[in-house]
Amino acid sequence: MEERRTAPFNTGMPDAVLKCVLPYLDGPRDRASISLVCRRWYELDSASRKHITIAFCYTTTADRLGRRFPAVESLKVKGKPRAAMYDLIPDDWGGYVRPWVQEVAANLDRLRWLHFRRMIVRDSDLEVLARSRGGVLRALKLDKCSGFSTDGLFHIGSMCRELRTLCLEESSIVELDGQWLHEIAMNNSILETLNFYRTDLVQVSFEDLERIARNCCNLTSVKISNCEILDLVGFFRAAAVLEEFCGGSFNNEQSDRYNAVTFPPKLCRLGLGSHRMPSVFPFASLLNKLDLLYALLDTEDHCLLIQRCPNLEILETRTVIGDRGLEVLAQSCKKLKRLRIERGSGNVSVSHRGLTVLAQGCLALEYLAVYVSDITNASLESIGTYSKNLCDFRLALLDREETITDFPLDNGVRALLRGCEKLRRLALYLRPGVLTDVGLGYIGRYSPNVRWMFLGYVGSSDTGLFEFSKGCPSLQKLEMMGCCFSERALAHAALQLPSLRYLWVQGYQTSSQSSDDLLAMARPCRNIELIPARRVITTDQVEEAVVLEHPAQILAYCSLAGPRTDFPETVISLDPVL
Amino acid sequence: MSRASVELDFFGMEKENSCKSQFQKFLDRRRSLRGLQGAISKMNPELIKSVIASGLTNPLSQDQIDSNKPEETQSLFPALHLLAPAARTASENGSETAPLTIFYNGTVSVFNVPRDKAEIILKHAVEGVSKNVESIDSKVATPSSDQQQLLETLDGDLPIARRKSLQRFMEKRKERLTCASPYGC
Repeated sequence: MEERRTAPFNTGMPDAVLKCVLPYLDGPRDRASISLVCRRWYELDSASRKHITIAFCYTTTADRLGRRFPAVESLKVKGKPRAAMYDLIPDDWGGYVRPWVQEVAANLDRLRWLHFRRMIVRDSDLEVLARSRGGVLRALKLDKCSGFSTDGLFHIGSMCRELRTLCLEESSIVELDGQWLHEIAMNNSILETLNFYRTDLVQVSFEDLERIARNCCNLTSVKISNCEILDLVGFFRAAAVLEEFCGGSFNNEQSDRYNAVTFPPKLCRLGLGSHRMPSVFPFASLLNKLDLLYALLDTEDHCLLIQRCPNLEILETRTVIGDRGLEVLAQSCKKLKRLRIERGSGNVSVSHRGLTVLAQGCLALEYLAVYVSDITNASLESIGTYSKNLCDFRLALLDREETITDFPLDNGVRALLRGCEKLRRLALYLRPGVLTDVGLGYIGRYSPNVRWMFLGYVGSSDTGLFEFSKGCPSLQKLEMMGCCFSERALAHAALQLPSLRYLWVQGYQTSSQSSDDLLAMARPCRNIELIPARRVITTDQVEEAVVLEHPAQILAYCSLAGPRTDFPETVISLDPVL
Repeated sequence: MSRASVELDFFGMEKENSCKSQFQKFLDRRRSLRGLQGAISKMNPELIKSVIASGLTNPLSQDQIDSNKPEETQSLFPALHLLAPAARTASENGSETAPLTIFYNGTVSVFNVPRDKAEIILKHAVEGVSKNVESIDSKVATPSSDQQQLLETLDGDLPIARRKSLQRFMEKRKERLTCASPYGC
């Protein structure tokens, strides 16, 4: 944008026409393009932009947001690096919602939907939010957040009576009582989505859940923590339009009592925390989403259930599904779009055999994330051949087998990348020797549309990174772990990759001149932060000290906000001026 | 499945074969037991004795080891940072012991050590030899293939970080299973 342009650029289109067209253009990339045409279009976009995602909270400031997009109605802000979900980031690293909440409270009058992901939230922030926007807030998502307690939620429950969506999934919340849910039960009659799945909130009362189900006639999605299912019979009866339910526990030894539990008739998205399945069979053919992560089913149970789900589109489960389960999936679930296979414990594993069959059978697949014990070039080629709709592919090679059947995987990876033309997101977590420098070069050359990559233990020398960084024209966000690259090579890559605006690396060759090599990537509007190698001592369940060694991390990102000022002591900012 | 012995080539016995492909090196490493024997003979005998003694008796001697390390060796093997587990449950990390067999000067000794102590011992051994090797071989400029092999061999059990939510769930489940009894606790 030109600050000093005096003569308006003539686009030949009156504002009135543009204002009619703009509401139909809400994709962020389209809007970004529009705002670059000329001053006037920039202003019109600013005045009418409805949704903003701040992909990383330190790239800009809350007041810049308020100044540019005062009419924003929906805001999503993300904080800690993704590695926080794997316990690799110190808890107090940063990503505080306070400045954003303050901006919302002070200036963003139209804000209705708010989503914070991996950020630190305080009770006081929730109180400010509730008091300032409680009357109008329609959706609040505190997604993998931490730092607050049920007292903060109490304010939300008592003052946000227009709330349609409350999501707290996977947040770390200090539980003092269950009053927050009681407030919602007493004050809210329009709730549609309630989610405190994967939290430790257990003091919630099932009577409050039942009351919510009775009062809220549009309640379509409820995901809870460990409430006993037998207590929810009344809830299920009252939640007549419920489509999604996850959570609950089956703790009663008298399993026949569970036969009395009837699920609501429209239920089509389900996540159960038990191996008790018969109650699911009657409506299994309605299911389009199934979460079996906590269900403790074995391979055989997986097969029995999946066979009965021809309409399944989304499945999340663990490696216990096995290759056999993937075969059943390939035969029975032709509509499958998203499959995530998390790492489980136990002996059953998923390998190239299952993946090949899956690729051939489930042609609609758009998202595939899997932990495998073994992989071959041929299976990656199959994915490239058959999975033409694949946008997001994530593969992690487990350490259970000492050797894998077929490596290096250079050619298989190339075939996959060339075949899956829609690929936007890619993750490969391998081992040394499995993807050589040549393979890393292939990734660079054959991923024209990939915007995000996570690479673990790839390549064997700086040459690989050098080749890689000649390509990847669309790569905006790069995360790497356990790589052998030097700081000099990393700095070079950061400068070469044309679209790169965020780089996270853990495990690299630190150079003896410490941070000088890294500073080669320093630019105005680019922050570089280091978390030096740390040792964290925790205690495990048997009260023994466990020493965890965390290798050093680099985080480099483009920012209009200048270097951070809210560091904990574990984080060091590299400032070239000093 | 715990492995019975640890085969290593951390003294870079295959330096002379550095032109081989990664694949070939990977195969050769598995035949390196004889090489190991030869390599250990290069080590300072006093160092070996002290390493074994300290590694076994003093579980958290890591700090002492770190502070005694001279600067130059520390920079030679920064790669060792990569080898430590990122996040693992207690049952995986260190509670299971495995035999560590050392062939030295015509004698064979077998020690049952947990994994973390084995790594401490090996770390010491590497530093011990590097002090001797450094003066002989001056091509230290870039991350060498020996470091690479060190990385690959010691890191046989890759520490894949677990997703926090799933990790918590598994731990809770373990707790529930361990306290389950026929009388219902």
